[in-house]
Amino acid sequence: MSEDVSRNAERRRPDRAALVIAPALLLLAAVIWWDASRLSAMSNYARIGPATVPHVVALGLALLAVWTAFEAWRGDFPEREPIETVPVVWIVAGLAGQMLLLRPAGFSIATGLLFALTAYGFGRRKLWISLPVGIVLSFLVWIVFGRLLQLSLPAGPLEHLFFRGS
Amino acid sequence: MGTFEFLLQGLVVAAQPINLFYALIGVTLGTAVGVLPGIGPALTVALLLPVTYKLDPAGSLIMFAGIYYGGMYGGSTTSILLNTPGESASVVTALEGNKMARAGRGGPALATAAIGSFVAGLIATLGLAFIAPFVVKFALSFGPREYFALMVLAFVTVSAAFGDSTLRGLTALFVGLALAVIGIDQQTGQARLSFGIPDLLDGIEVTTLAVAMFAIGETLFVASQGSRVPEKVEAVKGSVWMSAADWARSWKPWLRGTAIGFPIGAMPAGGADIASFLSYSAEKQFSKHADEFGKGAIEGVAGPEAANNASAAGTLVPLLSLGLPTTATAAIMLAGFQQYGLQPGPLLFATNPQLVWGLIASLLIANFMLLVLNLPLIGLWVKLLTIPKPWLYAGILLFATLGTIGANPSVFELGILLAFGLLGFAMRVFGYPIAPVVVGLILGPMAEQQLRRALAISQGDVTALFMSPIAAVLFVLAAVAVVVPLVLRARGRGEVLSQFAANED
Amino acid sequence: MRHFFLASILAGAMALPALAADYTIIAPAGPGGGWDQTARSIQTVLQDEKISGSVQVVNVPGAGGTIGLAQFTGQNAGNPNALIVGGYVMVGAILTNKSPVTLADVTPIARLTGEYEAIVVPAASPLQSMGDLVEALKADPGAVSWAGGSAGGTDHIAAGLIAKAAGVDPTKINYIAYSGGGEALAAILGNQVTAGISGYGEFEAQVKAGTLRLLAISSPERIEGIDAPTIKESGLDVVVENWRMIAAAPGLSAEQTAAVSADIEKMVNSDSWKELLKTKGWQNTYLAGDAFKEQLAKDISATEAILKDIGLVQ
Repeated sequence: MSEDVSRNAERRRPDRAALVIAPALLLLAAVIWWDASRLSAMSNYARIGPATVPHVVALGLALLAVWTAFEAWRGDFPEREPIETVPVVWIVAGLAGQMLLLRPAGFSIATGLLFALTAYGFGRRKLWISLPVGIVLSFLVWIVFGRLLQLSLPAGPLEHLFFRGS
Repeated sequence: MGTFEFLLQGLVVAAQPINLFYALIGVTLGTAVGVLPGIGPALTVALLLPVTYKLDPAGSLIMFAGIYYGGMYGGSTTSILLNTPGESASVVTALEGNKMARAGRGGPALATAAIGSFVAGLIATLGLAFIAPFVVKFALSFGPREYFALMVLAFVTVSAAFGDSTLRGLTALFVGLALAVIGIDQQTGQARLSFGIPDLLDGIEVTTLAVAMFAIGETLFVASQGSRVPEKVEAVKGSVWMSAADWARSWKPWLRGTAIGFPIGAMPAGGADIASFLSYSAEKQFSKHADEFGKGAIEGVAGPEAANNASAAGTLVPLLSLGLPTTATAAIMLAGFQQYGLQPGPLLFATNPQLVWGLIASLLIANFMLLVLNLPLIGLWVKLLTIPKPWLYAGILLFATLGTIGANPSVFELGILLAFGLLGFAMRVFGYPIAPVVVGLILGPMAEQQLRRALAISQGDVTALFMSPIAAVLFVLAAVAVVVPLVLRARGRGEVLSQFAANED
Repeated sequence: MRHFFLASILAGAMALPALAADYTIIAPAGPGGGWDQTARSIQTVLQDEKISGSVQVVNVPGAGGTIGLAQFTGQNAGNPNALIVGGYVMVGAILTNKSPVTLADVTPIARLTGEYEAIVVPAASPLQSMGDLVEALKADPGAVSWAGGSAGGTDHIAAGLIAKAAGVDPTKINYIAYSGGGEALAAILGNQVTAGISGYGEFEAQVKAGTLRLLAISSPERIEGIDAPTIKESGLDVVVENWRMIAAAPGLSAEQTAAVSADIEKMVNSDSWKELLKTKGWQNTYLAGDAFKEQLAKDISATEAILKDIGLVQ
């Protein structure tokens, strides 16, 4: 009897966020299975074809999904510290911005923006300082790695201003 | 002239001040480019090789050797300090190294990496000079089935990097294996999991995944912790230098790492990453401080770093003794050697002794230069951690994306970087280990391809897999690696249970 | 001294843009491969001969060059300064990968170099001649394992053509694909497979050292300096050349195409290019203009046919 009471006290509530992981894994498994089933099994001597390993991986993921659901239901996942999403959004915006600006604006401006938004995410809100600093720093990096060490870094208006024809 | 005279002569040439200077430049440039996350030794050498063309043969050979070792070594610094391994071979270095750095022990971690790399480079280069013919014979006896057995061994030992939960470790590994399926199947040329997107046909680049999961995932995670984390880290607790205990715990891993790395580097389908994985799990097995693993065990830095450098020298074994370029880096070197009129091949040692021994002497000097350059810099590197967080992490993202853009300037690759950065962030939030994903992506395709090759050669006969002595030994080792911990755990659990029973009484 | 060195390379970098006609060459493969080496050789010669002021090589690896090709055509339409290196492997890869971008979407400039396929066996192999190999293949195609490059590549195509010419079903060849030349070579040297098939350059040093036996070469006639019969001599009508080319962006005007062609022609005729071909061991197979386009069209239709026979293209 006393054992039951202590177990009940120990049992944690189902971890809802962690419960989302199980269907995600299951979905991944289903996609892999579906994709592998389309492959044409050509005649080959190995007997295991291009679909064998994907099928094994899909089965493994499906089993892990069940196991994850079970653990999440029992609340066995480690406790998470609360997270702040706002800084993450700023940094992701910086990365996305760099990705989109890289071609039209060149390496220095795009990466300078990433630099400034990352610093913003970490609490440096003075964009009028961090943005120029980031662009200048990226430009120096572009000179060293792009011009001197011949790494192919896209050039934009700023780079063209100093280096014609690059 | 005998072996020794040639080597001595090579050393005399290499030790001239101007050549030492070239070695220093080579090491500096190699480290500078190699340190960028996402740019591995292959690209470093390809980019910098033209720099050496303008020098005389001796000078260019030595500068090249410096670039090679510098590029190989460069990745460890960022792995340890910033948890952003730049290439697959330094992923395991980050596991323990970064924990050490966070505990204020970045100095000893960098020192053991630098000295371990030096020791491994020294022994392996001498090995290259004196036992290359034997090593290469051993390496060539590895066919598909032996490689498959080696991969199985690597898979079972990889659980050393799983962290505290088998479920989450396995899930991370399987996510890596799922990513490994993406791309064109080598044996049949069919696209898998590519959904008609051409950029996916070549699969997920390991370096991109590593940079995304570690550098970007880490940055996002730290940012999400908000103000709870102090803005500055205490960079140095205790000495910046290795203590006597650090030395005592490091020297054996250095030697073991060398012993693992050199032959695996010499294998045509081996490589520095596999060597570093095996070394890490070996250290976990052998260490008297196994409980410290995952919390910053110095053995976990010393061993893999030695293994990864020893395998860099090991790569040169088949290259110089057979003319076999077994890695992309080696293929570029082969091209580089041709400009010195050097045709690597089975006859090289006989036809071109001066150049071969000149190269080996250059490698020894470059290795030494690396130590000279890096040891004094450790104090400076550690100070990196004292940069205020906003600037530090902004800088990390700058260099992480720089590496990816430099390696492949495509918007799609940056998209992949962002997507897996978010995945790495989510996995950190839920307590999943990151390294198994990268390990799965590296080992998965190798294991699959080798298995299918082995079965194709045997025309579907599965028993043939076990019919080679080397493969059989490796399979037995793998079985032991699975069974022994289970037995130990069962016994351990037994003790805990009996303690419980005792408490109840 | 160090400052001086840095200052001088800095000055060098600043001085570069002063020269004219810059090129960016896409090498649609990772560093170290044949295309990368070709691109970097072109870079060296164009700069050394002052044909171009600044040449940059960009690696866009993947999928037999089709990823680089797609990126090249997508971003550079009408850009006369953009070049791409490619070759026969691309022809097969475009078909097997069902690439939406094909060689019809670029402006072919010239074929530059070429290499023939070599068929080798380990020195210890009982097979002494191409005839022996063909006999073994006819007796049991599964027992003859071929090590070569990736599925659908030049090596695979050549193996398929040999089987077909020998009257063996090309879908029945036991072809083991390896990623790099080195890995396949190691498998042959280690006696893991029956035979190896790849570019002659991959095997040259081993053949000269006697660790591999060269059975035949896929050239139309015997080649000076290579002591082996052609595949044709063994009664199989198979000729395969793995050529490499340079192409420009789509949508160029006739004048722009002519300017690029002139630069490339200047490069091919320079002494440093000839010197370079010699050190690399590449055959000069320079072919430009309409003759090249004709050859290209022929190669594409022949390749499509054999890939269908092997079963890689439906």
